[in-house]
Amino acid sequence: MKRPRLSLREQPLPGGQPLAFGIGLAIALFVGTLLLLGAGHDPLRIYSRMFEASLGDPDAWAITLNRAVPLGLAGLAVAIAGSMGLWNIGAEGQIMAGAIAAAWVARIGGDWPGFVLITMMLVAAVGGGGVLAIGPAVARAKLGVNEIITTLMLNEVAIRLVQWLIHGPWKDPDSFNFPLAPMLPDQARLPTLFSRAHFGLLIAVAVVIIASVAVRYTGWGYELRIAGSSESTARYSGISLPKKVLTVLVLSGAVAGLAGGVELAGTADRLTETLSNGFGFAGIIVAALALMRPSGVAAVALLFGAVQIGGQSIQTLGVSSSVSTILQAFVLFGAIGAGVFSRYHISLDSGPSSAPEEAKS
Amino acid sequence: MNEASLIGLLFATVSFGALLYLAALGELLAEKAGVLNLGVEGMMAIGAVTAFIAGVEFQNPWVALIIAMLSGALLASVHGFFTVGLGAEQVVSGLSLTILGLGLAAYIGKDYVGLPPGAELVPVEWGSLSDLPWVGPILFSQAPIVYLALLLGVAASLVLSSTRLGLALRAAGESASSTDSAGHSVLGLRLSAVAAGGALAGASGAYLTLSITPQWAEGVTAGRGWIAVALVIFGAWRPGRVAWGALLFGGTLALKTRLQTFGVDFSPIILSMLPYVLTLLILLMISIRSRKRPSPSPAALGLAYRREER
Amino acid sequence: MDIWKTFPGVVANAGVELAVRRGSIHALLGENGAGKSTLMNILAGVYRPDSGEVRIDSLPHQFRNPADALSAGVGMVHQEFRLIPSFSVAENIVLGSAPSVINNRHVESDVAEMAHKYGLKVDPGQPLWQLSMGERQKVEILKVLWRDAQVLILDEPTTVLTPSEVDELAEILRRMADDGRSIIFISHKLHEVSGICDEATVLRQGKTVAGSLEMAITDRNELARLMVGASPTVPVRPAAATPGKPLLELQNLSATGDRGVDAFSDVSFRIHSGEIVGIAGVAGNGQRELADVIAGLRPSNSGTVFMDGADITAVSPRRRFHSGLAYIPEDRLGVGLAPRLSITDNAILRVYRQQRRGPFIVAEKALSYCTDIVDRFGVRAGDLGGPIAALSGGNLQRLLVGRELDGKPSVVVASQPTRGLDVQGVKAIQDLLLDQRNSGAAVMMISEDLDELLTLTDRLLVMEGGIIRGEFDPRTASRHEIGMAMLSDSQATPQS
Repeated sequence: MKRPRLSLREQPLPGGQPLAFGIGLAIALFVGTLLLLGAGHDPLRIYSRMFEASLGDPDAWAITLNRAVPLGLAGLAVAIAGSMGLWNIGAEGQIMAGAIAAAWVARIGGDWPGFVLITMMLVAAVGGGGVLAIGPAVARAKLGVNEIITTLMLNEVAIRLVQWLIHGPWKDPDSFNFPLAPMLPDQARLPTLFSRAHFGLLIAVAVVIIASVAVRYTGWGYELRIAGSSESTARYSGISLPKKVLTVLVLSGAVAGLAGGVELAGTADRLTETLSNGFGFAGIIVAALALMRPSGVAAVALLFGAVQIGGQSIQTLGVSSSVSTILQAFVLFGAIGAGVFSRYHISLDSGPSSAPEEAKS
Repeated sequence: MNEASLIGLLFATVSFGALLYLAALGELLAEKAGVLNLGVEGMMAIGAVTAFIAGVEFQNPWVALIIAMLSGALLASVHGFFTVGLGAEQVVSGLSLTILGLGLAAYIGKDYVGLPPGAELVPVEWGSLSDLPWVGPILFSQAPIVYLALLLGVAASLVLSSTRLGLALRAAGESASSTDSAGHSVLGLRLSAVAAGGALAGASGAYLTLSITPQWAEGVTAGRGWIAVALVIFGAWRPGRVAWGALLFGGTLALKTRLQTFGVDFSPIILSMLPYVLTLLILLMISIRSRKRPSPSPAALGLAYRREER
Repeated sequence: MDIWKTFPGVVANAGVELAVRRGSIHALLGENGAGKSTLMNILAGVYRPDSGEVRIDSLPHQFRNPADALSAGVGMVHQEFRLIPSFSVAENIVLGSAPSVINNRHVESDVAEMAHKYGLKVDPGQPLWQLSMGERQKVEILKVLWRDAQVLILDEPTTVLTPSEVDELAEILRRMADDGRSIIFISHKLHEVSGICDEATVLRQGKTVAGSLEMAITDRNELARLMVGASPTVPVRPAAATPGKPLLELQNLSATGDRGVDAFSDVSFRIHSGEIVGIAGVAGNGQRELADVIAGLRPSNSGTVFMDGADITAVSPRRRFHSGLAYIPEDRLGVGLAPRLSITDNAILRVYRQQRRGPFIVAEKALSYCTDIVDRFGVRAGDLGGPIAALSGGNLQRLLVGRELDGKPSVVVASQPTRGLDVQGVKAIQDLLLDQRNSGAAVMMISEDLDELLTLTDRLLVMEGGIIRGEFDPRTASRHEIGMAMLSDSQATPQS
């Protein structure tokens, strides 16, 4: 009986992951066309509007870049952990934790000069995200507890923490019973670069560059990659695994926290419940599509941001937001599938294999 | 605090407990077979919307329920295809499934927002049992799906422990190669488990829109899918323990909106952190205790199985 | 008496014949690589033969998978158990052949009954993870019996057993044979086999060299000779060297293996500067663990390791390397090299810390280091920034060995360094090790290839069952003598 079987290709298909992403995009566009037609829209008009709104002119670019910033930082956070084979699913919560810390600094430092205030906010954000990741990091390093669940649970805790703060102790007294955190003081906003693009872009780019360089070119990054490739090789060469796990997970949380701080000081004007807005989860997917390489995260985040912004823009044309969500999902699945195909090939086989050449008895 | 509100609280506890239990039971089956499915939110949403739509169109709650379960299973099979069929990363696929499910649900439900429900799962009449004090209104006035959830839990427990299928399923989650050598189809077992998980998550969503909050709106699942994922771990992958956990977490959900009526000045938001914090603590406890004995999580959970050389 | 034969022909087995009588315990003897496991895997339906046939009770059979083989009555107990630790004994036994509804109590009592019948002492309700290796093996046997296998194949069953458990096993097998079942016992441990088995077939290099010899009347020495054989070429020995001071010394070293059993115990020997000491023996007798302990990757239970007089028992692997101890592990791509990294990345594994300027690894330094190694050690590689997995086996090993030897070590531990290499590769690695020895290093070489050891080494130790069974002078000792020691059959006293 013939049955399909997957076997590892000797060489991954040329073009590799970017090609996979491209194929995913193509599939998504195709399915999206069907969906749009089904809903009575003109696909060409919709797609061109999406493109215009996200990448059409400098204003569009500004908005897209602003969106790419938290996506990229969250993706970077996940990719750093991912280079070592660890899953940080808690970026969503760590973003919130970072935002909380930054907002707290804004509350107490309302009269500090802008540069100092913002710097302290971002430092706090980094600390906030890192602190939230300490628990799962220690649990994984010392006890071997799977970090997927521990980080996932803390997501929910952090989100509710924000809700509690906004409804309770940090509620804006001027907001007439509607729970809202107070607006950030003016000095707490990141300066803009062009159009509406804010300074966070430079911060994000800097962090991504530093991370990419660190992972690729430093001794620390080298050890990370060894540990990610084979634990036994890491031990053979004398790397202490628990220490590495701990530092990497906390660092990952810190970078996600930074995303929260930057988003707060850049795009949002106050701490809100929806600040993390799915960036944490999207970051996981961004990192996965970038194959956990920090250097790829920037490009993927930009594309992802464009897709999201484009998706938002077509709502004014009567297309519901759900369509863009579905499109995103299709891009993801398309890329996942294409990724598998680029590394494995399918063959039909008819029964057990013949004995291997090297017989070991 | 008076008797009526306490009864109301306990009623809601059982009700929410059943809601969570259905989804958690489904995830338990999938994970027992070795597949992590983080798409529970998406599957619940699909179940909720298809149940509501079917209710409006067909006016029959049972038809609606079945359609919801089928839809859930169908969506779950996407995840199954990518992870079990192709061996893709389960975490990424599951999260993508959540996005897909939520998006699809919003899309197909958009014309039905705000409409009155077409069918409802009416509470079952147990005759004189429903008139018993306390127990009557709490246990014997629930929607039929609650009793279904209980039955399914018992059935799952029995199947897992005492049938050939259950044994094979558990084996697939512990060691795919040993299961393969014993002659079972790891692929078939895992795919079935994932689909079953989807069906149950769909049923859970249906319960939402056919009984608890009988209307459709985006986001009606409100994060309960994640509680279900936590529940499976909280209950150490055992249907019985997960049931008790479901009651506990259901209680916190019920309590959230009722704290004020009890005159308790405790933030409901902090209360809603409880399920997650508890799960964390339990997880730590399990790990510390399981230094000598193997951990209760299925050994092959999350690992793709590719039979390369046989 | 019913007879069945097989004549499979596969690349690893070229024209093998095997005939086993019903109700007998038949030994399948041979060195590692002789093709015993491959042959049995064919019989059990795991592999497909290229030609030849399997006949059971004179009926030919074609097995497409292990389930086919099982339904024809052939079951195999592999060396690597296929058991589920968190399941109970009974659940493990019944997996794959359970009825639709399992009444646990019935199953357990049935299992207990069958176990009792054959003298296997197990508690059906006990969780498997609590069982020792020997007990788990009983569960594997019961699994096969549960399917009513008429032909049972056991692949090196005694490697995981203590001597008393071996006796138990013999008793169990006898009962099964008396019950009319046929048993094929793959082994290299001649003395155990001669106590247990009725007949023996000997394989060497994939061929049957002797079939169905009756154990009772065959001389053990004759069997040993058949297994080990005479080597076809006369090797060229390096010039004798005068060894200097001891650079590596082990005193009463013991360690536990991965499976909880003792891997090796009370090992003591010295290796001097300028000599190669070989450790001969069939794989799985503690050699790998010994190498790991010397390199610092595995803790020892007791005893000491000295390097050039200094006690390094508790020193980290990194410090050991920098003090001059090179380790060429058996697992090239899993331990010695990181599979997903580039060639350059792997080349600098030992020295990357010295290659830094500040926190950065200087790419030029890394590349020139790698190029240097590649050139000096003859690694044929394309793009040095490309993935290590692109290298062929021989080149992988040259890179690994080159990297380890680059630091001019004083002690070299080489574990199966030429396994799987082609002729040139073998010579290249052997020459490298000889160079080290000639420059004054102390080289410890573990190998399954006796010929290689006889050619290269100055002294030869034989390790079996975790114990050093004897020491030989490779120039003068007879192969037969050494073979006997490897087969745990030796009363030889150490010679020097």
